[in-house]
Amino acid sequence: MQLLIQCCVLWFVSPEGIEALCNDVNVNHTDVRMLIFAWKMKAEKQGYFSKDEWRRGLKCLGADTRPKLKKAIEGLDKELKVPECFEDFYSYAFQYCLTEEKQRSVDIETICELLNIVLKSEFPNQVNLLVEYLKVGKQLFKLIYVQNDYRALNMDQWRSFYRFFKEVDFHDLENYDSSQAWTVIIDNFVEWLKEKEKN
Amino acid sequence: MSSQKKRTFQIEAFKHRVVVDPKYAEKTWKVLEHAIHEIYNHNASGLSFEELYRNAYNMVLHKFGEKLYSGLVTTMTSHLKEISQSIESAQGEIFLEELNRKWIDHNKALQMIRDILMYMDRTFIPSSHKTPVHELGLNLWRDVVIHSSKTQARLRDTLLELVLRERNGEVINRGLMRNIIKMLMDLGLSVYQEDFEKHFLSVSANFYCLESQKFIETCDCGDYLKKAERRLNEEIERVSHYLDPRSEIKITNVVEKEMIDSHMHTLVHMENSGLVNMLVDDKYEDLGRMYSLFRRVPTGLTVVKDVMTAFVRDTGKQLVMDPERLRDPVDFVQRLLDLKDKYDKIINMSFTNDKTFQNALNSSFEHFINLNARSPEFISLFVDDKLRRGLKGVGEEDVEIVLDKVMMLFRYLQEKDVFEKYYKQHLAKRLLSGKTISDDAERSLIVKLKTECGYQFTSKLEGMFTDMKTSYDTMQGFYASQSDVGDSPSLVVHVLTTGSWPTQPSPQCNLPSELLGVCEKFRAYYLGTHNGRRLSWQTNMGTADLKATFGKGQKHELNVSTYQMCVLMLFNNADRLTCKEIEQATGIPLLDLKRCLQSLACVKGKNVLRKEPMSKDIAEDDTFFFNDKFTSKFFKVKIGTVVAQRESEPENLETRQRVEEDRKPQIEAAIVRIMKSRRTLDHNNIVAEVTKQLQSRFLPNPVVIKKRIESLIEREFLERDRVDRKLYRYLA
Repeated sequence: MQLLIQCCVLWFVSPEGIEALCNDVNVNHTDVRMLIFAWKMKAEKQGYFSKDEWRRGLKCLGADTRPKLKKAIEGLDKELKVPECFEDFYSYAFQYCLTEEKQRSVDIETICELLNIVLKSEFPNQVNLLVEYLKVGKQLFKLIYVQNDYRALNMDQWRSFYRFFKEVDFHDLENYDSSQAWTVIIDNFVEWLKEKEKN
Repeated sequence: MSSQKKRTFQIEAFKHRVVVDPKYAEKTWKVLEHAIHEIYNHNASGLSFEELYRNAYNMVLHKFGEKLYSGLVTTMTSHLKEISQSIESAQGEIFLEELNRKWIDHNKALQMIRDILMYMDRTFIPSSHKTPVHELGLNLWRDVVIHSSKTQARLRDTLLELVLRERNGEVINRGLMRNIIKMLMDLGLSVYQEDFEKHFLSVSANFYCLESQKFIETCDCGDYLKKAERRLNEEIERVSHYLDPRSEIKITNVVEKEMIDSHMHTLVHMENSGLVNMLVDDKYEDLGRMYSLFRRVPTGLTVVKDVMTAFVRDTGKQLVMDPERLRDPVDFVQRLLDLKDKYDKIINMSFTNDKTFQNALNSSFEHFINLNARSPEFISLFVDDKLRRGLKGVGEEDVEIVLDKVMMLFRYLQEKDVFEKYYKQHLAKRLLSGKTISDDAERSLIVKLKTECGYQFTSKLEGMFTDMKTSYDTMQGFYASQSDVGDSPSLVVHVLTTGSWPTQPSPQCNLPSELLGVCEKFRAYYLGTHNGRRLSWQTNMGTADLKATFGKGQKHELNVSTYQMCVLMLFNNADRLTCKEIEQATGIPLLDLKRCLQSLACVKGKNVLRKEPMSKDIAEDDTFFFNDKFTSKFFKVKIGTVVAQRESEPENLETRQRVEEDRKPQIEAAIVRIMKSRRTLDHNNIVAEVTKQLQSRFLPNPVVIKKRIESLIEREFLERDRVDRKLYRYLA
């Protein structure tokens, strides 16, 4: 453990360090498993791991050697099988993107990337449609004053995506009830889907 | 007195044996039987009441009551059989008369017989539970005479035929009818009902069914209703003359059902004469008749009300959506008022001010007035027109009436906050141009709005009035303080408190040098007495009076806006100027400048400037000249336009956006208020509560409410429950 920490001091002081770590364990830094690792560590700041966080992460993974670490990280996606865990991780993923102190929302580009990383494996079709919608919304905003301004989304909206995918069947949108306290962006998304289906 | 014993008085029984003659009973009965015969033969005068009574008494006393009773029954029955036959053989018209006569006789006889047999009636009959004499007499009459196989049906048919003849216009013997009917009633309610009433009702039903069918095919709605009413009254009168009063409700039900209920929808929707036509043509009498008739049947008034409501909604909707109407806001509102007046009058004159109709009318108005999003603006323009000139010379009471009508329309508006916005703008223009006919009328309306909507609605409006008054005082003080007025133009300043007045911020234009002096003096004066305030000239809102001399020396006084004044003053020092040059010199925003130049150069009768080229539009390098040849038959020429006008489409859009923006904080405030007191609440309930709280100002869009909630979540005033996403929690 001592050895690992000493080595890693070089790794994680900075984003470059993280990249080096990724190279070492042969996992892309945009891979969901790096994000899961950060989650396990309860890392607060994107791109940086503190010493305590690092320790916590290693302990969680039960890894005290490099090979063990590599193997553990490779198998991290299995950690999300339990729904409560996944929800926690899902919220964390958003949190992790808030870099500024009082920041409450994340820009659309990052949201789309995040959706791809975090949800695509489970809901490939839905994620594609949602990403398409968000990008279209952003386009429209540039052209005319659209009442719905989706240049950035907040945690509440982010959480509603996962719930929506989980609970609503895309083939059965007629039963969708907009008075059911879904977020407005979801209401608009459903309308857009319905229009799309007609054409 | 001696001490002899006092003897009690004693009555002793007969000491001799009283022999009861075995034939006594028979003999006595025979006497009575004979008496009964005589009575029925109208020979009662020769009888001794006392003797007969005694005989009957004795029979009962000696335990021969049974014989007496059964004898009575037999005798009476046989007499009645005779009577029955005589009635049966009566021909034609005589039948009823004979029946009536015999009935009267029977009653007289019965009376006498009862008197004679009074003792039996009182003692023997109760103890042996037999039918008393009088009742017995009636029952026998019923069974033997009325219910005889020939008479029963004939009686019924005769009576019904008479009723039919009377219905067909003939005069019948009502007295006779009354007596016969009374006879049936005397015989017992069930006799009346079974032998007559039941059949009467079913025959009447048939009669009216056929008659109503015939009328429906031949009459228009108004005539039909007249006929129905007539028939109804007839029946009521018939009952009062010769039927049992309890029959009234039954027969009227029959008429109502056959004549009204069955044909309700046909009547109401009858082409060219139905309800809608009556409404359109203000047929008060016909409508009143329809109301009073339809009121009698279940759902009758509901049908009338629904048809009226649908028609009013339709009429209103057409009025409100007609593009022609939308060009003239004052006319638009006047027509709405006329429509309301029309229907108020109908409800008053014909529907006895029925509350449900009044409510239906109100809800119809509420429905279609709000179909047009510009209604609030138009109502404000209507008020503006009235307060600027329409109510000139009108008496105080009549002014109140008009304002009350306006308030009534105001109440129907869902978007009262939009009205407030326009009202403020229009009021500002009226106040600043001094163009209101009556300060009292203005204030009266404000009071009405305050009563309706609460003080917040009107506090700013009242502020505007205060500013006007204060400005007047300030001007007095200013001129008092200026020792040397000199040649400087006379200045009238209205000092407006920001926040009370509708703000249209615009950059200050460059005032002509002639004015700068006095403006500065005022500023100095004002700030001298009001430390710490900031003054900024609103050059887009002022007016000016200019004295102009034209080519041939003709003088005119021009009443213009501040912008127009700035432009015109330039021509004191220049003969020609391009639009661009004017823009630079005055600093007026281009769009406003173009409008200003148009009003000075392109309007016939007001073209104090001349433009080259002569086109209607203003281009930047168009050249302007002072129009030496200007003429007008008026000395005072009014060119400025500070009058309230119907907004153009883009202006309207802008106002609407501002209204939507203003609503957001109000919705948020309502949400926070509600959540603060409830702590946790689900989505649908929040939406309902917010809507309720804001309904006196506007109807909030549920989607907007949702967005505000999300915004509050983002700002951490609320949070969404982790488990039940429909539940929100207030975060302290």
